[in-house]
Amino acid sequence: MAKVLVIADIKQGALKGSTAELLSKAKAIGAEAAVVAIGSNLEALIPELANAGSDTQYIADDPGLELFSAGPYASCVVDAANQFGADLIWFSFSESGKAASPRVAAQLGAACATEITDVILNGDQVEIIRPAIANKVKQRVKINAERLVAVVRAGAFEATEGISGTENVVRLATPAADVKAVIKELISDATGEIDLADADIVISVGRGAKDQTGVDLIRALADDLGAGFGSSRAMVDGGFMAHNKQVGQTGKIVAPTLYMAMGISGAIQHLAGMNGSKVILAVNKDPEAPIFNVADYGIVGDLFEVVPLLREEIKKIRS
Amino acid sequence: MKILTTIKKVVDVELTINVEAGAIVEDGLQYVMNAWDENAVEATVQLKENNNAETTMVSIGGGEDNTKIIRRGFAMGIDNGIQIDDPTLTEADSSVFARVLQKVYEKEGYDLIITGKQAQDTDNGQTGIMLAEYLAIPCVSNVIAIEVLDDQHISVSRLGDNGTEIVALELPAVVTVTDSINEPRLPGMRGLMMAKKKKIDVMDLSALGTSFEEVGGTALKSEIVEFMKSETREAGQKFEGDAADITAKVVDLLVNEAKVL
Ligand SMILES: Cc1cc2nc3c(=O)[nH]c(=O)nc-3n(C[C@H](O)[C@H](O)[C@H](O)COP(=O)(O)OP(=O)(O)OC[C@H]3O[C@@H](n4cnc5c(N)ncnc54)[C@H](O)[C@@H]3O)c2cc1C
Repeated sequence: MAKVLVIADIKQGALKGSTAELLSKAKAIGAEAAVVAIGSNLEALIPELANAGSDTQYIADDPGLELFSAGPYASCVVDAANQFGADLIWFSFSESGKAASPRVAAQLGAACATEITDVILNGDQVEIIRPAIANKVKQRVKINAERLVAVVRAGAFEATEGISGTENVVRLATPAADVKAVIKELISDATGEIDLADADIVISVGRGAKDQTGVDLIRALADDLGAGFGSSRAMVDGGFMAHNKQVGQTGKIVAPTLYMAMGISGAIQHLAGMNGSKVILAVNKDPEAPIFNVADYGIVGDLFEVVPLLREEIKKIRS
Repeated sequence: MKILTTIKKVVDVELTINVEAGAIVEDGLQYVMNAWDENAVEATVQLKENNNAETTMVSIGGGEDNTKIIRRGFAMGIDNGIQIDDPTLTEADSSVFARVLQKVYEKEGYDLIITGKQAQDTDNGQTGIMLAEYLAIPCVSNVIAIEVLDDQHISVSRLGDNGTEIVALELPAVVTVTDSINEPRLPGMRGLMMAKKKKIDVMDLSALGTSFEEVGGTALKSEIVEFMKSETREAGQKFEGDAADITAKVVDLLVNEAKVL
């Protein structure tokens, strides 16, 4: 039986839904599933880690692990992987996963795959599917090494309803701090707003919104709907939106039920972050904008006129 | 300070890419420098301008297109160019490339290695980080700012999951950069002319003092079996006309047809 070790995705002290998605996939392919949680003050998360679908919880809990440092983080994963005898080691789609996975693979002599969307087990043979070239193609990749370290693309796996696990805690020793790469400071980007990854509806603002007035206008629509508020790179570069709001290849990958692109042209690097959404609505004044090639519904018009109308219409149906 | 910058030739992602019988159709494709490597080159040249660095770039791969991107690196301001041209390396994985780069590093010794955070063709994002691991030197990925502190230390800013991390790095180190670190300069005519005259140091694996086997080429950890076309979305319904009318229509469709509102 294959053994899957899932690295718990913990953000601002909370366990993200992706952890249960990866554990569900592990069980769906008939594997034994364990989780490793790395950070500080994790005690309260242990029942949740079990409920997310794991049967063993490796816990590296130390104040020194509060701030992410790729070296010690990777050491904890390697330790857990060796203790568990993991064949497959899966990170959620995150910057920590992207930073730690190649280190873990190098240390374990394992294969490394980023942004996988599927895993196929054929006896002992493991194959994975992943997009490449900004999502323009997919690759089927055969794994030759005995172990595979992978980062799973956001939204690739679904959590099984009613999944559960058992509590069986193994404490990990705290690895030495990396004295050659010392984290001095974290400038937190926590805003209290809904995380794009958790949002059912994501509304993103593009250069078409021009300036702060346009951004505020669209933010009001997001507030009305309790939607996540994202951005194209143009508005991040312009200083109107924070880095952690960027949707696309260098930003977040989102797959909400409804994605609204407001004044976004639809460059492939943006599409790579949102074209897995269930339904896409685009508002753009250029009828030829490439975003309309992927939008289920398109409104050709000036967003400064359309967004207030959208708010009105939505208020009507909501009352 | 001696800086080594890695650059890779990638397919121009703006062009249509066709897949036939499990392979990418090469006909009509064009090749450019990986966008994130352009950021790496720009970061390197800025360090040179502000701190007197000696700069070298390395590219793995042969052919005209590869020479072209090295020339572009010269034109942007890099001093030296190394090209690892070995026919055995066409089917290599990130780990093999990292092993080759390790040899390049060990030949000369450098204080800082700057790479793009990933390549636009594979979107793997592994090589730079593995290289640091093989060299047992520190590494920070997804970097948006580099500041030289002294001969042995730099400070970098990294976009992490919870915000911007400020990390003090002891050299030698590897830094992988993302696109928001800078706006790569467009090389001017004069730079491009001068670049043509520069000598590229071309080496195969044996000239580098290694072999295909030693870099792990005969024991690939993974292999691409086939390429497939990605699922493309169909263009849906597009409405033009009176803004109030079409907005009401679309909201109605979102509620009653798509059932997402
Ligand atoms: C290596 C690399 C990585 C990248 N990563 C990302 C990424 O992660 N995310 C990302 O988004 N981009 C990324 N980009 C940038 C990407 O290529 C585009 O430049 C960017 O997405 C453009 O943003 P935009 O659509 O907001 O702006 P533009 O392309 O300028 O489009 C603005 C749109 O607004 C429309 N418009 C203007 N005024 C109005 C109005 N009043 N009402 C309605 N519509 C209006 C216009 O018709 C136009 O279509 C990356 C690029 C590179 C090279």
